[in-house]
Amino acid sequence: MNADVLIVGGGIQGCATAYQLARRGVSVLVVEKDYIARHASGVNAGGVRLIGRDLAEVPLSRQSMRMWHTLDEELEADTGFRAKGLINIAADDADIAALNDRQQKMQALGYDHERIISRDELRERLPFVDPTCVGGAMSELDGYAIPYKATNAFRLAAERHGATFLEGTELAGLRRIGEAWLAATSRGDISAGTIVNCAGAWADRVAAMIGDNVPLSHAAPMLMITARMPHFASPVVGAVSRQLSFKQFENGTVLIGGGAKGFADRAANRTRLDYAKLAQASRTAIEFFPIMAKASINRMWAGLEAYMPDNLPVIGPAVNADRAFHAFGFSAHGFQMGPVVGKVMADLVLTGASDFDLSAFRIDRYDRKVL
Amino acid sequence: MSAALTLSEHGRSALVLDRGVAPGGQIFRSVSTSPLPDRTALGPDYAAGAELVSAYTNSRAKHVAGADVWHIGEDGRILYSHEGTTKQVEAREILICPGAIERPMPIRGWTLPGVMTAGAAQVMLKSDAMVAENAVFAGSGPLLYLIVAQYLRLGVKVAGLVDTTPAENYLKAAPLLPAALGGFGLLRKGLALLSEIRRAGVPVYRNATDLAILGDQRAEGLVFTSDGRQEIKADTVFLHHGVLPNPNMTRALGLAHHWNEDQLAWHVTKDAFGQSSLPHVSVAGDGGGIVGADGARHEGTLAAMNVLTRLGHFASDQRDRLAKPRLAQLRRLARFRRFIDRLYQPRPALRLPQDSETVVCRCEEQRLSDLRQGFEEGARDPNALKSRTRCGMGPCQGRQCGPIVSGLLAKWQDLPVQDVGYYRLRSPQKLLSLEEFSQFQTVVPDEGGTK
Amino acid sequence: MFRSLRTDNPELVRVSVNGHAVEIASGQSVWSALALSGQTTTRKAALSGEDRSAYCAMGVCFECMVEIDGIPNQQACLRRVADGMTIATQTITETSVAK
Repeated sequence: MNADVLIVGGGIQGCATAYQLARRGVSVLVVEKDYIARHASGVNAGGVRLIGRDLAEVPLSRQSMRMWHTLDEELEADTGFRAKGLINIAADDADIAALNDRQQKMQALGYDHERIISRDELRERLPFVDPTCVGGAMSELDGYAIPYKATNAFRLAAERHGATFLEGTELAGLRRIGEAWLAATSRGDISAGTIVNCAGAWADRVAAMIGDNVPLSHAAPMLMITARMPHFASPVVGAVSRQLSFKQFENGTVLIGGGAKGFADRAANRTRLDYAKLAQASRTAIEFFPIMAKASINRMWAGLEAYMPDNLPVIGPAVNADRAFHAFGFSAHGFQMGPVVGKVMADLVLTGASDFDLSAFRIDRYDRKVL
Repeated sequence: MSAALTLSEHGRSALVLDRGVAPGGQIFRSVSTSPLPDRTALGPDYAAGAELVSAYTNSRAKHVAGADVWHIGEDGRILYSHEGTTKQVEAREILICPGAIERPMPIRGWTLPGVMTAGAAQVMLKSDAMVAENAVFAGSGPLLYLIVAQYLRLGVKVAGLVDTTPAENYLKAAPLLPAALGGFGLLRKGLALLSEIRRAGVPVYRNATDLAILGDQRAEGLVFTSDGRQEIKADTVFLHHGVLPNPNMTRALGLAHHWNEDQLAWHVTKDAFGQSSLPHVSVAGDGGGIVGADGARHEGTLAAMNVLTRLGHFASDQRDRLAKPRLAQLRRLARFRRFIDRLYQPRPALRLPQDSETVVCRCEEQRLSDLRQGFEEGARDPNALKSRTRCGMGPCQGRQCGPIVSGLLAKWQDLPVQDVGYYRLRSPQKLLSLEEFSQFQTVVPDEGGTK
Repeated sequence: MFRSLRTDNPELVRVSVNGHAVEIASGQSVWSALALSGQTTTRKAALSGEDRSAYCAMGVCFECMVEIDGIPNQQACLRRVADGMTIATQTITETSVAK
């Protein structure tokens, strides 16, 4: 098999990159060892969040948010995206101080998408919040999407433009032969001019095949979802300094996250849960929203996600090989970035450059540190 | 109960976590506390269960009634709801006996109020002495005939028995009959039930096909083909065409499973003593593969013998010697079971929905047409289809739609069901109160933690 | 129509089913309290809002979820009646709004 570009990994970054390349006439092959959106891209919390981003990510994230708002039309699909807003709740005055501090930094850079809301506005927007909460920060642009649907929408759109997806196909080895990459896969050899590494929690192994070392780790952030509840919270909810994150979907189910980690078993392709930590997340949810005491947990799960030491992704060209690019290590906040990353990667593949400053995301940013 | 008794006979105690209010499981449910005026109407097999329950109650086993296990970890940690709190126990050896659930029969209208399963009729009778007057019973298999006979003995009117056993099954099963004759007693019991039903004057329709529930808001009867189009009016329709292992506990634990073509069901992969792909986890009874009540008693005993060996109580040759007669009886039962499985093998058209508007996922109201669309949009795996359509995401966690979805994806791709697989299941295995769970702190050993 | 075959004189408890007072034998299932009082709708289907009722009666199908004493998602077939219990059809659907 041959293609101009071989993408390794069928998560949202790989599917979005495939879409952006295919629509510009490039022949694209995507290999995915399980099925599309099997891991972090399909089982994440679905948050489409601009608020609270690391400053290095804000330009990319803002552009991605603009793309989310018209994504359904562009992909001719239902990604489940809803711009319901996101509120980070301030539980006390220390939280308010932290928000004021951030607000100053954001204003200095000219960003206006986050704003502080008063206790009254908090109560108005979230009538069921515990009355002791003092305020919060809100981004009106934020919301959520349905992870599997959104990722699959990119895949289907890419296929309409001629991209090929090989599911159940694992990359076993990679060699550079002259001007081509020769990839050995469980479905035979693939020859491609360019390789793009979007392999998520497995991306360090693909990077090593390309020739780049990277200090990637993986973990299993845990989630719980309830049976349907009467609607009580329209915006996505987080907290400034507590492990609280939840959203009530339009179907009434409430997804509870918060960042507690289970146990990741990458070799066995699976995760285990830490029930004591999930119980803590349940306590926090009820503390902030007493109505949650009536909730029933329907499912609990964890996905395998890739983390970088600084919680920033790797986006950019390989440093030790030609015609190879990376996009991985999104550290549990990459779903929102998917649309723009697809665009950035297509630009890199086709022109070698990007409109964005990618210096914070270089793969070798840890190489130069003397240990 | 059988496993706990065997352990007790050898001086070991077992902690038995039982969701039921009293020992007995589904088959011997309420046998020692029957609310019925005369429990002998349920037949001698049921009454015989009282003996087992009484022996079990007098054994060393510690029975925890109302213990709803919602997580078993491969590390041996078990979490269960009991009296409104989540409790934890750590076990060196675990025996899982999740029992059977009824095979879904996704016909048009099967979600309407008034449509229940034959198993439901049994449970209501045993637990609450509650019956439905003038109901229709439709489907195939021994349990269906048994409940009809029980109703008749108790003076409850039955509007009709619609037997969907395909006529050709009698021919297909015939070659297995000689081998099954070791189970002659069981066979005779089955035939006696059918003639009892006919003698009582209940209309019996044979070789029925094209079943659909009548009614718009509620069930109003059953329409079907058997010597022409037939219709029976009734406000309750009981469906049944066999049982399947209850998969959620063994699946969530990650035990190996395989597809059994004779029973058209997923079985837990285990050895002769019920030991699963995890050495310290055994499975006995219908939850591992349908063996019936008699088979379950043998399997429970055998699993206990193996556990005793693993705990160093006796050597494996001693275990094998003790096990020999039990294993022989299980083999005899298995020959009979193969005959029954062939004879009552459900019609493909009743196992998989035919009408594009028939609901497959009762919880999330996903119809055959919705699943087909999800399939055409790229979902080839049961989990991908679940993510795409929400089929299987509801409170029953796929217990109803799971077998149908695996079957549909196999049919659409012309693949063996084994290759299509099943939902990836997780704990909790029931809806868990967030309030209850929020009070769960951490590792607090209780209940002694043996077995 | 559901009916009870009991001929003993069981101890009775009083429960409320959708606001109606119902006397029922102590120890029976909540589902039997609904069925014997002719109120067989346990819940509304999540999307269509159609009536649903008990299907398996053994804890597998979750069709018989009702609200008991204000707490939703209780399986009527598994719960036992208790004196003073308030039982109500569960009406939570996709469009329900919290009050």
